[in-house]
Amino acid sequence: MKQLAYYPGCTLYTKSKNLDLCARESAQILGFELKELETWNCCGAIYSTVQDDIANQVAPIRNLIEAQKISNKLVTLCAACYNVLKRSNNYLLHKDNEIYRKRINNFLETEYDGKTEVVHYLETLKYDIGFETLKLKVKKNLNGLKVGSYYGCLMLRPSEELNFDDPDNPMMMDDMFSALGATAVDFPFKGECCGGYVLVNKPEVATKCSQTILESLVSAGAECVATTCPLCQYNIDNQQKLMSKQFNLPIFYFTQLLSLALGVDEKILNLNNHYIDPKPLLKQKGLI
Amino acid sequence: MIANDNIKQDIEQLSGQKLSDCYQCGACTAGCPTAFAMDPVPSQSIRLLQLGRYDEILNAPGIWLCAACNVCGERCPRGVDYGKIADTLRTIVLRNKITHVTLEQVDNKFILDAPQQAFIAAFRKFTT
Repeated sequence: MKQLAYYPGCTLYTKSKNLDLCARESAQILGFELKELETWNCCGAIYSTVQDDIANQVAPIRNLIEAQKISNKLVTLCAACYNVLKRSNNYLLHKDNEIYRKRINNFLETEYDGKTEVVHYLETLKYDIGFETLKLKVKKNLNGLKVGSYYGCLMLRPSEELNFDDPDNPMMMDDMFSALGATAVDFPFKGECCGGYVLVNKPEVATKCSQTILESLVSAGAECVATTCPLCQYNIDNQQKLMSKQFNLPIFYFTQLLSLALGVDEKILNLNNHYIDPKPLLKQKGLI
Repeated sequence: MIANDNIKQDIEQLSGQKLSDCYQCGACTAGCPTAFAMDPVPSQSIRLLQLGRYDEILNAPGIWLCAACNVCGERCPRGVDYGKIADTLRTIVLRNKITHVTLEQVDNKFILDAPQQAFIAAFRKFTT
């Protein structure tokens, strides 16, 4: 079984265990193993764009170095980790940053040259496994489930650096859901920001951002939503209780629905870890 | 107050952006998800910087509402990334030991409830 270095990140070990566990289980079924880094530390959760801010680059780069012990690819799940790790690697490789590259390497006592390729789990599914192969592994077809794929900012932008998908019309997650038999709902706010960490100092602003996204999803006919980021999930799920409109829209991690389709035990999905209960919808569709 | 004589050079160097490249089309503000609550909005902030009104913008509440979503930089036809400028402006304030948020100011229900990713990110962007 092919082993790929895997970086879970802080939130996947606590609040979002189901995002992590579902991904590991699904990987086993699809024929690869997410091999967690032996030691890892928090990536910092947000990338610093300030040119001389090398202190914030050290933590993510330590993880990139650690990955080399397992594979040249480092798989991530959380959109924030993906963004930070990939951009830190780019920072190190940038021609103008040679002096910083030396300084960071001196500090870490390494000779790291930026060889680790940071990929998202979705990219592994698309490019290494292939959605056609994924289709053959489906045990429980998600037929009839209308899913809105919400990518958020951190997977898509800056597109020049991340090169993940079209920043204005991403399709990777939609294509995965089509392979699982679900109906991928197209809506214009796929890459709109949920408000992110602004939640901490101005919750009313973040909630308004999230509400705009939910309005767009509902008017496009989505019955549920899939995300890749624990903070997006929290903002558009839990913050529904503070919104001026009632949406009652269940918000999943994409790996939960992937696991459901691949026949993973329902306990691992942890469907109780939601503010809007997704079970009635899944029962109605005959999926649980 | 915070701005020193080298402020323009500092901002341009730390952000990697040239302030005079902006021609005020407003695409950044049009795409910004928090612009509805932001004062001044991204394009206005750049204009203030072009006019040399550094203290005004360094003391403005608007720079603390940026969620680092990068829509502005992605869509700018002149290749100016306001997100990087806002990040730099916040960093300049924070490097002057002026903290924006303290733990005591954060609503308790979030501390218990929200993913830690939110706090790590917020405290990185908002504290010295």
